[in-house]
Amino acid sequence: MSEVQRKKYTEQEKNKIFDGEFMPHIDSMYNFGYRLTFDEDDAKDLVQDTYLKAYRFINSFEQGTNAKAWLFRILKNSFINDYRKKSKQPSKVDYQEVETYYNSDDVDYSMTSDLRVDSVKDMLGDEISNALNSLAVDFRTVIILCDLEGFTYEEMAKILDIPIGTVRSRLHRARNLLKEKLRSYAQNMGYNTDEEG
Amino acid sequence: MENSLEGSGERKLQCSDVSKCFQLLESILDGNNVPDSQEILKSKLAKCQPCFEHFHLEQAIKEVLRNKCTKHEVPSELVANIRQKIEEIK
Ligand SMILES: [Zn+2]
Repeated sequence: MSEVQRKKYTEQEKNKIFDGEFMPHIDSMYNFGYRLTFDEDDAKDLVQDTYLKAYRFINSFEQGTNAKAWLFRILKNSFINDYRKKSKQPSKVDYQEVETYYNSDDVDYSMTSDLRVDSVKDMLGDEISNALNSLAVDFRTVIILCDLEGFTYEEMAKILDIPIGTVRSRLHRARNLLKEKLRSYAQNMGYNTDEEG
Repeated sequence: MENSLEGSGERKLQCSDVSKCFQLLESILDGNNVPDSQEILKSKLAKCQPCFEHFHLEQAIKEVLRNKCTKHEVPSELVANIRQKIEEIK
């Protein structure tokens, strides 16, 4: 949320922004919340919190700008600051830890995957979903933002408060991990993936 | 997108700069604003086998993700709850 306090909206304008620009994203917001927490009630709380904050800080939202990105950023921050702290299942990897651990925007692009396009297309929803859910939260998040929600790297950088280079490298790593998962599912389905050994 | 470039006869089998190419292809696929993206895409996919394969695999994964991981139904009471809470803080 921007520190710049814009002109105050009237009650009527607030309602118009809320209904016209915020509420249409509720499906995406809920899906994001659910994929972060894996729990229906937690997802509901997170989304509700986000919309309440959005209303409370509506004067710092500039009408006509990217409401979806603005809402996603609030939800992501609520998840880290509120949900994570009281969470029953502390996450294995912490947001910044991931970057410190890998500590570089250098990514190995030479790693090729023998996963086949055909086997990907034949995957069931559950397999895709499970593969995505198996990723650590930071990796899962970039895939959700990019592939499910269609945000650009620039928008993702703003939502996540990280440089574009980090968005790029984190996304690439996430995709490699996801492909590994999908590859093992494909093998179980009996697809020939030139498995070694 | 249609897989309109069948047959790999014309494509080179080694990519001259895999990191640069794949990064660029992913940027385009991910809907980022890349200058001359259509021309770049056309020429890379026509000339380079690794680029061709990488692009189509990433594209397929992106598609299944979008089609199969975004269909969570929003609990019916959620919208009503939000509206009620907002009325309370107004
Ligand atoms: Zn190439």
